[in-house]
Amino acid sequence: MVWARSSILELVLVALCLVLAFQAEGFFTVGNLLNVLRNVSMQGIIAFGMTMVIISGEIDLSVGSAVAFAGCVTAWLAQWLAALGLSMVMALPLAMCLALLLGMSIGALTGLIRVRFAVPSFITTLAWMTVLTGAAQLITGGFPLTPFPEWYNFFGGGYLFGVPFPALVFLLVFLTTHVLMGYTSFGRSVYAVGGNPEAARLSGIRVGRVKVVVMASVAFLAALAGIMQSAQIMSGSATTARGWELNVIASVIIGGTSLMGGEGKIRGTLMGVIFLGILVNGMTLMNINEYWQHVVRGALILAAVLINRINERSRD
Amino acid sequence: MNPVPQPIQLEARGIRKEYPGTVALKDVRVRFEGGKVHALIGRNGAGKSTLVRILAGSTQPTAGQVLLDGEPVELRSPGDAFQRGIATVYQELSLVPGLSVAENILLGRMPRSRGPFIDWTSAADQARAVLATMDVEMDVDVPVGRLGFAQQQTVEIAKAMSFRPSVLMLDEPTSGLARHETRSLFRLVGQLAEQGVAILYISHRLQELWEIADRVTVLRDGDHVATVEMAETTAEEIVHYMFGETVQKERPADLLAGREPVLEVRGLSRGEEFQDVDLTLHRGEILGIAGMLGSGRTELLKAIFGALPFDRGEIRLSETTCRRVSPPDMKDLGLGFAPEDRKQEGLVQTQSIRSNLCLASLDRISNRGFLSRRRERRLIREQVDRLHIKAPDVEEAVSSLSGGNQQKVVVGKWLGTSLQVLLLDEPTRGIDLQAKQQIFQLMWDLSRQGIAILFVSSELEELVEVCHRILVMKQGRIRQEIRPENTTADQLFVQCM
Repeated sequence: MVWARSSILELVLVALCLVLAFQAEGFFTVGNLLNVLRNVSMQGIIAFGMTMVIISGEIDLSVGSAVAFAGCVTAWLAQWLAALGLSMVMALPLAMCLALLLGMSIGALTGLIRVRFAVPSFITTLAWMTVLTGAAQLITGGFPLTPFPEWYNFFGGGYLFGVPFPALVFLLVFLTTHVLMGYTSFGRSVYAVGGNPEAARLSGIRVGRVKVVVMASVAFLAALAGIMQSAQIMSGSATTARGWELNVIASVIIGGTSLMGGEGKIRGTLMGVIFLGILVNGMTLMNINEYWQHVVRGALILAAVLINRINERSRD
Repeated sequence: MNPVPQPIQLEARGIRKEYPGTVALKDVRVRFEGGKVHALIGRNGAGKSTLVRILAGSTQPTAGQVLLDGEPVELRSPGDAFQRGIATVYQELSLVPGLSVAENILLGRMPRSRGPFIDWTSAADQARAVLATMDVEMDVDVPVGRLGFAQQQTVEIAKAMSFRPSVLMLDEPTSGLARHETRSLFRLVGQLAEQGVAILYISHRLQELWEIADRVTVLRDGDHVATVEMAETTAEEIVHYMFGETVQKERPADLLAGREPVLEVRGLSRGEEFQDVDLTLHRGEILGIAGMLGSGRTELLKAIFGALPFDRGEIRLSETTCRRVSPPDMKDLGLGFAPEDRKQEGLVQTQSIRSNLCLASLDRISNRGFLSRRRERRLIREQVDRLHIKAPDVEEAVSSLSGGNQQKVVVGKWLGTSLQVLLLDEPTRGIDLQAKQQIFQLMWDLSRQGIAILFVSSELEELVEVCHRILVMKQGRIRQEIRPENTTADQLFVQCM
């Protein structure tokens, strides 16, 4: 059934592409398709991490704020280190590493709070969402920080072998998480922990460790996307990436991952991400009103979840 | 309470209940009278619960009739039974923990003052009135979640009594109670009987029946074996009715327990659940634990595996002495554990048979974290063959298997680990005879390989059939050690009470 489910999505995706190829001018060009890929990569990177989190039975609502926060921290740290006398070539990479580390620690902390005090990740990350937005505002003083040198733009807007750099990272993250979830004992543990934590625990699986690692992973990926996003807009801005968490969760759900945990595929999320990206791109090319785009996207999420449910029911 | 001029009569006539593949009740004929406490007793699977469910209207008999005061009645739903004055209090209480005592007693029937608003004063009064008829004093404003189990049970009984039933069925009401709480429950039951209510009392604690019941009905394998006055019978007689003439099977003669100890438990204690448990398991030995529900046997097994912390004592396994243990550590030391509740604790229902079989041995089928498909396939094939798991495809969801085959998966997932000692908690509960024999066969095979097994079961003849030694556990303590050659299931049953 999982197979059938993902095939439905793939068929719909092909159909959508065919329609757009004829209806939307300029859709079926290399330039536009690469553009789609670039547009989906930042949120897509996070979506792969989110898939692991949701399969493990948790959720992270703070990824949008974490993106903005990571961009601002990078900018702020680079500025500060440069002011200490470090050259930008030294200061910026250091700032990027620290931002990644900080982001990952926040995720790990969420995981620890979940394991140690049984606070649902829904609540903790909801709290982080506000905290990180506020913190980003605080360190930027309300205005975008722009200490970045020209070469930094490569991480957000550059090309490697003719492919946008973020798209390459997106593919790399896809492959890594795909292998991790499908071909390693860790991946198996994630499914088991999400499917039945007590059975996993009584099988000698370190449930707490699994949860901490997946929460840290998604937070790391959010920080990574945040750095690339700040490189694309060439500033650390506290207001960027607002609402990303919903798009990210939407692509995961459309990709067939169950919000109940224990079920889902990284490959499904890849399809979900690309599907949403093409849909938005196509609607934009066809000059469809942006508000309508929101309506369509929302309806789509509902449809995907309904199909999931109906499938599950026919299985029982 | 309503005065009952003529004692009420509830009669089951020729009741038969078939489930797919099994007959739970065969032509049961029994009568219960108002003003008396009727005990219903029998071993697991004897048909007690099925009979109660039929009388409570939650399941329909395949054949036969229920008569109330001589009139045939149709009990199509629990609501029907309620309206006819038949109330049931099940072992699992159905209270809402966040609501007060009064709200729970009057759930769904709260008195209103005006419009949608609840009349709290009259609600409290009504609840107190119900409790007063039972001679119970209780603060009706306290949330039920803050009460102890015994008081919660009283609330549950009060809830049933608020419908003014003429028949009250209590399903294993004492299994969660301490001794003094049991006594007050008995007082309460006695009072209700005096008011003319017919009490149907299901229990596995034989001894307490003399304190509470007037008459006992014994079921065995779905048959009504006997109904006798408590005053005219003895424990031996009832046990004999329960067990019948059984042919005791024996374990294969070549099974020898070794001499070297592999698992030693010393002075293990955990709160009220078990105290000062000592036991030693030798290489290849199958050690049984006989004990009733609530004797602490499940908690003991979980504590040994590290799934529940213990307060005092130590565990020695594979030459390592542990005072604090966790499941992953114990697994590495060669311990395996098949829990009692296979749906909630043993299996990941959403996943395939294959994934479930690998669950405990992920590190053994992977190389530096990467799964080896070849090793996984080999492991799966070995376990499926060895355990005779009947499945068309190991990629199917584990939930598609029958109970017996699911149990084999729960046990099978440990066979791929570096197993030294296997803890089995009720591995044969709810599975068919053939699967049972296959599990025994597996236990004997493991024993031949030198793997030691700690085996908990409520089916006492299983223990007598399978084990080298049997420990009797009662109220959290090991009371006795018995050799199966020197005992029978009914003798063992008397020891456990």
